[in-house]
Amino acid sequence: MQPRRPPPPIPGSGPWGPRPVAPLIALLLLLAPVVAAAESESAEHPGQPQDAGLQRRLLQQAARAALHFFNFRAGSPSALRVLAQVQKGRAWINPKEGYKVDVVFSTERYNPESLLQEGEEHLGKCSARVFFKNQKPRPAVNVTCTRFIEKKKRQQEDYLLYKQMKQLKNPLEIVSIPDNHGHIDPSLRPIWDLAFLGSSYVMWEMTTQFSRYYLVQLTSVRQWKTNDDTIDFDYTVLLHELSTQEIIPCRIHLVWYPGKPLKVKYHCQELQTPEEASGTEEGSAVAPTELSNF
Amino acid sequence: DQVFRINVRNGDEISKLSQLVNSNNLKLNVWKSPSTFSRPVDVLVPSVSLQPVKSFLTSQGLEYEVTIEDLQIYHEMDNIASDFPDLASRVKIGHSFENRPMYVLKFSTEEGVRRPAIWLNAGIHSREWISQATAIWTARKIASDYQRDPAITSILEKMDIFLLPVANPDGYVYTQTQNRLWRKTRSLNPGSPCVGADPNRNWNASFAGKGASDNPCSEVYHGPHANSEVEVKSVVDFIQKHGNFKCFIDLHSYSQLLMYPYGYTAKKAPDAEELDKLARRAAKALASVSGTEYQVGPTSTTVYPASGSSIDWAYDNGIKFAFTFELRDTGTYGFLLPANQIIPTAEETWLGLKTIMEHVRHNLY
Repeated sequence: MQPRRPPPPIPGSGPWGPRPVAPLIALLLLLAPVVAAAESESAEHPGQPQDAGLQRRLLQQAARAALHFFNFRAGSPSALRVLAQVQKGRAWINPKEGYKVDVVFSTERYNPESLLQEGEEHLGKCSARVFFKNQKPRPAVNVTCTRFIEKKKRQQEDYLLYKQMKQLKNPLEIVSIPDNHGHIDPSLRPIWDLAFLGSSYVMWEMTTQFSRYYLVQLTSVRQWKTNDDTIDFDYTVLLHELSTQEIIPCRIHLVWYPGKPLKVKYHCQELQTPEEASGTEEGSAVAPTELSNF
Repeated sequence: DQVFRINVRNGDEISKLSQLVNSNNLKLNVWKSPSTFSRPVDVLVPSVSLQPVKSFLTSQGLEYEVTIEDLQIYHEMDNIASDFPDLASRVKIGHSFENRPMYVLKFSTEEGVRRPAIWLNAGIHSREWISQATAIWTARKIASDYQRDPAITSILEKMDIFLLPVANPDGYVYTQTQNRLWRKTRSLNPGSPCVGADPNRNWNASFAGKGASDNPCSEVYHGPHANSEVEVKSVVDFIQKHGNFKCFIDLHSYSQLLMYPYGYTAKKAPDAEELDKLARRAAKALASVSGTEYQVGPTSTTVYPASGSSIDWAYDNGIKFAFTFELRDTGTYGFLLPANQIIPTAEETWLGLKTIMEHVRHNLY
């Protein structure tokens, strides 16, 4: 089978190399979302009205993978970002190798309730190249984002969070965060943010061109240690995978100190057979994927 | 609120129970008193008293089981019907696998005539709590705005509205008592430890096609055959018997999408253009309230391929105006949408629903 001819370049998208991100100029940011389906493409592949939809979905998947990776690499629970809008991009599909996607997208703060800091932009902007390889287990991501919050400020916030976390009573008596009604106690918010940070690593590795993950709930805390300055956090979360609608329990173990790279190990449970599986590990048929990143 | 069914085996137990019921601060309500010792007593226990009552029963050695969990929605349906007796009535259309009643609210301004009708479906996936919540808010909105709002008044002058707020009652109870993230029905699958089928893959529209699974343990298990789930069959039978539905809207969460057929194929539906235009207008009306943005398109390319879905069945059975709403949010809270977003969600969705219903009303076929 012939590999699909790449779609014609989208007007306005630059050359292949990673584009240096210019300082924010508000007007230029607000580009209309682009959909790539071209007439010639449809003629060659009849009955593919999903081209436009497929392009859009691929760009969104790439943006998500890039953002998970970005959040993990930034290692900053006070500066987590979520996808606002995909602005433009282009995808190449090679059935033998995989999917390569260039994408530009806007982001917003993860914590919608928190007030914007002085000098902080509401929307950030990122550009990324993401490679969903057929062979490799995780998407290769190259991503650059505008700085939406000053580095010094971010470090201050992280350190504040760190101090709050060190104050928390040990052992942590957690039932679930959020609770079943979506409520997160403000005093527990730092734990949630840290859990989300660790989960970003997991979600980055697991995101493919087809599957996308969302963090649903922190269901248990096995260990919360704060000796020798770092925070040592062993916990279980539930992830929701949208295309299969499955709920996936993942046990995550992270070590964090503000400013230092995040260390994460995890194990996610595959399709649960007993429907009562709620984050316990017994009976998992999948070999544990212990991955550390340093 | 829960209903406790308490087994009383002798006079001693009856007096213990009376002691409990008569204590004022617990606000208990006896539904069915025992006439003989062998019959159980049904007692309505408000949420705030659940813990003390459970402790009491256990410590006194009284056997009990919790029957209907969280009656709030059924109560409210009843209240609406009695507050607006000339407009609304609560109709039982069937029962669930675990024998819970399936109630719809029928809004009609003229009895004895089978008018062109609108079906509003909610809660088919039990964990999507914003769906049931939005539906019950909408029910009261329809009733209270009749003869106040020209749009809904005009709609009800020509059409009936049927609203099913809890299309999957067993699943809903399960999310309240055992597993907040339960999606499917609670039917048993012979030969499998896994329970339930995805009621939105169980309709007879390319049943067992792509976007569904034949594995009972999957969240999108389509079931052994189309309409195998009694909850689905009840709706199908009702709509087919009625024979005059023009619009079918299914409420889900999350993702903020407004979709029309098809899910089971990428082929364009014959009315795709009209449905797309209408959906865009509805999404715009919805966004006008709080700026909440919805994406619009056919199911298969907007979210994913899905066979055996409710709106595909409705559409292929002559119900042209078939839409799915995936309500708030886009993943921040997902299924666990905080309660303070219920009313804002319901209010904006109402404008979207009205846009669609108005169009149907003016384009009856």
